[in-house]
Amino acid sequence: MNVSRDFSNDGKQLVIAIKGKFDFSLVQEFRQAYSHIGDSQPTVIIDLRETDYLDSSALGMLLNMRKSLGSSVKGIQLINAKPDVRRILDISRFDKMFVIA
Amino acid sequence: MKVLIVDDQPANQVMLSGLIKRFGHQVTCADNGIEAIDIFANLAPDVVLLDVMMPVLDGFQTAPRLKALSGDVHLPILFITALDDQETLLKCLEAGGDDFISVPFEPVVLQAKLNAHARVRELSYSLKGKNETLAYHSNRMEREQNVVRHMLANALQENETEYPFLKTYLAPASEFNGDLVLSKAGPLGNFYLFVGDFTGHGLAPATGALPVAQTFFDSAEKGLSIANMVEEFNRKLVKLLPDDMFCAAFVAELSANGERLTYWNGGIPDALLINEAGAVEKRLVPEHMALGILSPEEFSSQVSHCFVEKNTRLITYTDGVVEMTNKADERLSERGFEALLLRYARERDFEGLVGSFQTFQQGQEQFDDISLVCLDCETTNLPVNQPDTNVTHLPFRLVVYLKENEIKGRDPIIKLVDSLSHLEGIRAHKTTLYLLLAEAFNNTLEHSVLQLDSGIKETGHGFDEYYRTREARLAVLEGVEIEIDIEYKPDNHLLSFSISSNSENGFSEYQQVSEDDEQQAFGRGLQLIRNFSSHVEWRDDGRRLYIEYDLSRPHA
Repeated sequence: MNVSRDFSNDGKQLVIAIKGKFDFSLVQEFRQAYSHIGDSQPTVIIDLRETDYLDSSALGMLLNMRKSLGSSVKGIQLINAKPDVRRILDISRFDKMFVIA
Repeated sequence: MKVLIVDDQPANQVMLSGLIKRFGHQVTCADNGIEAIDIFANLAPDVVLLDVMMPVLDGFQTAPRLKALSGDVHLPILFITALDDQETLLKCLEAGGDDFISVPFEPVVLQAKLNAHARVRELSYSLKGKNETLAYHSNRMEREQNVVRHMLANALQENETEYPFLKTYLAPASEFNGDLVLSKAGPLGNFYLFVGDFTGHGLAPATGALPVAQTFFDSAEKGLSIANMVEEFNRKLVKLLPDDMFCAAFVAELSANGERLTYWNGGIPDALLINEAGAVEKRLVPEHMALGILSPEEFSSQVSHCFVEKNTRLITYTDGVVEMTNKADERLSERGFEALLLRYARERDFEGLVGSFQTFQQGQEQFDDISLVCLDCETTNLPVNQPDTNVTHLPFRLVVYLKENEIKGRDPIIKLVDSLSHLEGIRAHKTTLYLLLAEAFNNTLEHSVLQLDSGIKETGHGFDEYYRTREARLAVLEGVEIEIDIEYKPDNHLLSFSISSNSENGFSEYQQVSEDDEQQAFGRGLQLIRNFSSHVEWRDDGRRLYIEYDLSRPHA
């Protein structure tokens, strides 16, 4: 599994981790990972520590997620991006739409 | 039994030796002390009958020398004396005599005394044997402990505790600590902490520390998640430890900015998040069983996350802290410990807090290992790992032809980047190279070959529709070839790619649109190519996309 999904014990955070390559081949898996989040308005955390590659389709998928989740979540954070991945997020000005921590 | 008779009177020698032979013992006679000493080593007698008054060396002088020759084994010496005055008897005992027999005597008394002393000598022999065995085992144990100590020291070499934001206190109850505190920086400026408490004390739990430490340091270096880490700890410990041994553990990761804490608590007392005043803000309660109990299938690696405020500190400790007792046998207890936190936290007085443990214990013996860790949740200021950026000096050119089989198969670009990554200096750029190649390849494939319209992506379910159409058209694709031409020139560190297809269409959208509209048409992908390359151009009337990437560009 290249996408894993874990709710924190208190249900306040949904952590989605992406391993290896993040692109459109994960489109279904990724959408499933953020579906059925319930009414608890969790913070969604995308853990990129093991993401080595991503392309514009991944960026598109992140934007889609944001659009689709809307106000049903407290916020979306992109965390633990390696420097090169971080650079792609920065250059695409994703900091305007996500918290990059 | 061998009996040595030392007497200068031949008559006494004859009388005594006759008697003792009749008791069934071997007898040897010496005329004086010196003679006795001379034959002692060869003879190795079990009991010595010693006359007091003798020429050359008398009984008082002979006794201590014979005792010395006997070494570690007890040598019974019986003085034969005609004298009955108490002073002489006392002197016999002081000289090392074990008993005396006054002439004349009843033979049965001599027999009884000889037998009694023979038994003492037997005991002494078996004691000596046992002492030797004991000494052997004690030496061996010490040697083995040294080996384990050495291995532990080596295993913990990677342990990083010297950070301004971290304070630790470890007090083992015996020489080997059953508690284990590990910490290490991750590759992203993040920080990992492990606090463990093995069942029992001493050598056995210390040995369990070895696989845990190895796994911890390897995982931290790779920047793995806490969930991954605890799964691996558990897998190893379940396999290694006997059923009655396990390891309670608190494992945590602090993000580089100090704002996020991820943790897993299996059987360690509540870790505490305390504010500046030392008051408890949040308890990180144990939600799991200790490591090394549940099978990998039953084990839960579910972690908890929390955001921490500025000036928050994480306090975590093993149960030895709250179970320490004072003279009245009262436990410090959680409440007592938290009261101490309030007292010492404001001044950030960690030494004071630790000192207060000793004050509480009032010199009482400590029965359990004690570990206490205080982690300031603040920006770690740890360096973020940069990969090696030495650049290869060999020029090369690689042309890859992808036909429909390769195009339809699993992402050919990742294979290409993986292969290129084996070249010195390219590995460090793999993420960016993948991005450039994937964007260029997908642009060629999707627009020039498959004739997809990026505009679809922008509509409601367009994103999915776009990729569905892509898949459908890809499935029926025939007679297509995409060429990727990669060239490296060492003198200017330029890696160039040109990508084209045998499709008649070329980049149709390119031909019609201006650069502003081009962005619209190709969207984010082309924008990324522009951002990350040093030069982009369309060649052959838009049929070929040419990109240059500078490997010497400062990284990130």
